[in-house]
Amino acid sequence: MGNDIFEITVNSVKLIVVFLLMVQAVPILVWLERRGSAFIQNRFGPNRVGPLGLLQLLADAVKFITKEDFAPDKAIRKLFYAAPVFALIPATLAYAAIPMSLPFIVPAFEMFGSSWGPYKFLVQGYEIGVGIVFILGVSSLAAYTILMAGWGSGSKFSLLGALRASAQVISYELALGLSIVGVILLYGTFSLSDMILAQQGPLQFVAFGYTVTSAVSWIPNWGIFYQPVGFVLFFAAAFAESNRLPFDLAEGEAELVAGFHTEYGGFKMLMFFIGEYGHMMIASGLATTFFFGGYGIPGITPAELQQVILSWGFSEAAAGGLNSLIHFLSYNVKFAIFLWIFIQVRWTLPRFRYDQLMDLGWKTMLPWALANTVVTAIAIYVVTL
Amino acid sequence: MTADAFLFWFLAITTIAGGITVVSVANPIYAALSLAFTMVSVAAVFVTLEAYFVAGVQLIVYAGAVMVLFVMVLMLFDLKHELEAFARGKVSGAIKLLTAGLLGGLLIGAIAYSPEGSKIAVGANQVAVAGDPTKNLGYRLFTQHIFAFEALGVLLLVIAVGAVALSRSKGGTHGQR
Amino acid sequence: MDSVSSEGLSLITNVGLNHYLVLSTALFCLGLIGVLLRRNAIVMLMSIELMLNAVNISFIAFGKYNNNIDGQIMVFFVMTIAAAEAAVGLALAVSIFKRFKEVNIRFFEHLRG
Repeated sequence: MGNDIFEITVNSVKLIVVFLLMVQAVPILVWLERRGSAFIQNRFGPNRVGPLGLLQLLADAVKFITKEDFAPDKAIRKLFYAAPVFALIPATLAYAAIPMSLPFIVPAFEMFGSSWGPYKFLVQGYEIGVGIVFILGVSSLAAYTILMAGWGSGSKFSLLGALRASAQVISYELALGLSIVGVILLYGTFSLSDMILAQQGPLQFVAFGYTVTSAVSWIPNWGIFYQPVGFVLFFAAAFAESNRLPFDLAEGEAELVAGFHTEYGGFKMLMFFIGEYGHMMIASGLATTFFFGGYGIPGITPAELQQVILSWGFSEAAAGGLNSLIHFLSYNVKFAIFLWIFIQVRWTLPRFRYDQLMDLGWKTMLPWALANTVVTAIAIYVVTL
Repeated sequence: MTADAFLFWFLAITTIAGGITVVSVANPIYAALSLAFTMVSVAAVFVTLEAYFVAGVQLIVYAGAVMVLFVMVLMLFDLKHELEAFARGKVSGAIKLLTAGLLGGLLIGAIAYSPEGSKIAVGANQVAVAGDPTKNLGYRLFTQHIFAFEALGVLLLVIAVGAVALSRSKGGTHGQR
Repeated sequence: MDSVSSEGLSLITNVGLNHYLVLSTALFCLGLIGVLLRRNAIVMLMSIELMLNAVNISFIAFGKYNNNIDGQIMVFFVMTIAAAEAAVGLALAVSIFKRFKEVNIRFFEHLRG
């Protein structure tokens, strides 16, 4: 957490800010979804409340909070009330481990009579050495939310939806984990910050003793050029993990009413949606980190950008802060593009049938992910002989 | 009390509490959920023992897959009519508790009175391996223990085939009484 | 009195190998009690998983305090085998439930001859 009181305070506040960031991004995402889906379906979305309908979510939140808080007659109250709370935990824990920008260096300064040394604050909740293993482990706990909600509702539809959804989630966890193994082999590390550091600079790799650099200097050294199959598999499995269309059998409206959250209304259902959007955000953040260089900007490395900012006349600390800010914006742009792809795919593709879904997960994605791992391992071995 | 000691005691209490809940509640679904909680707590204990990769694997495999399987199977069974959750007979139950307590006492006594264990100080033996401990783990696994690793793969294949063969028996789980 | 209390205090504040081994023992005995006292076949399987977790803790503790990575390697194997055994145990339990609609082992004591 930190060595002295200043660092501990800032890190604690940072944890809270990251949590709030995740929760506050949900209304924006829902607005984007409603207006975006309306745009795709050639109609208006909400456009009456506030400019461009932006305050619609505020009105919806007030509506949700003031709804009656009930539980069905045959529900198991402990599980019924615990499930929405538990929906937030895996998403928050995993989201806080994704690096969002350059570490922010604060030089030594004087305050209250004593000197506080130079600090390095990471722009994320916490940094984990085995980052990706932790994120996979924690997001696999999301299956319990579904099971507790389905069982606690005490109705057959909820239970069926919950069993199907949790079977889907644990099947696609495999494909998700295996599709990342290629990236781990490539960068040789579990830590997300190290992977981002390895993706800076123009596209270049070492093959058979020669260093091959791309002629076009603004093509960056991103993972997408080395692991295209891995990216496709990862992104498809991420759809299944967060129960989004085309994999949203769990909430198939035409079949199971609303799956495992049929009996939930009001604020509890909102918490489920925060969890679902949280998983979407984790998937977008991970796709950015593994395959698109994280917070890097194509064509210019962070050190070069620091020099450019210093030449504009800022002081050392302010230049560092501005550098972090620009990289944070770059991360957010890529993040937003992936979230938009999630939304676009939801409103474009039809839903999978359950047996098609399980076939896809076990018989198509798993062999492809294994093949990707084997080919990557062989390629790395041969190229660095 | 240092942070390490506080963390250990906190995790020890949550783990033991989870374990007691597993064996003492009558409803098997609550037992399964509290076992999942215990697994997460054990993963945290692994983190304090600086085995980060194994902690992650514990979360992914045990808490994220094996326990989900347990909970799913229990929900499928829908055991409303629990005949008896616990063993009948007070005397035999007391003897069983006594036996388990005796075993525990013997083990704790052996731990307390063994000369080796009581002399190792905290932090005296840091895991001083060259480079990343996870890399070292992978290296040792694939060179010294390669045979066991491959045998494990064959075992998993046999288990998968066996589980599929076992579940092919006719009849559903509901509605045939 | 003073030396006893300070020794007791050092038992609490200096966490060493013995503490982890005692935790492992306690968890193992809890699992053992679960296997002996519970009558639901699936809860007995879960108690066995608890015992295996206790053993994992002791392996890793020994591995750390003796500066040896073999503890973690052993835990790998134990974890895999435990997961495999849980899968087979559950498949068996599902087969039994399909046939008898019961997984309480009390019921099966009466099946004779």
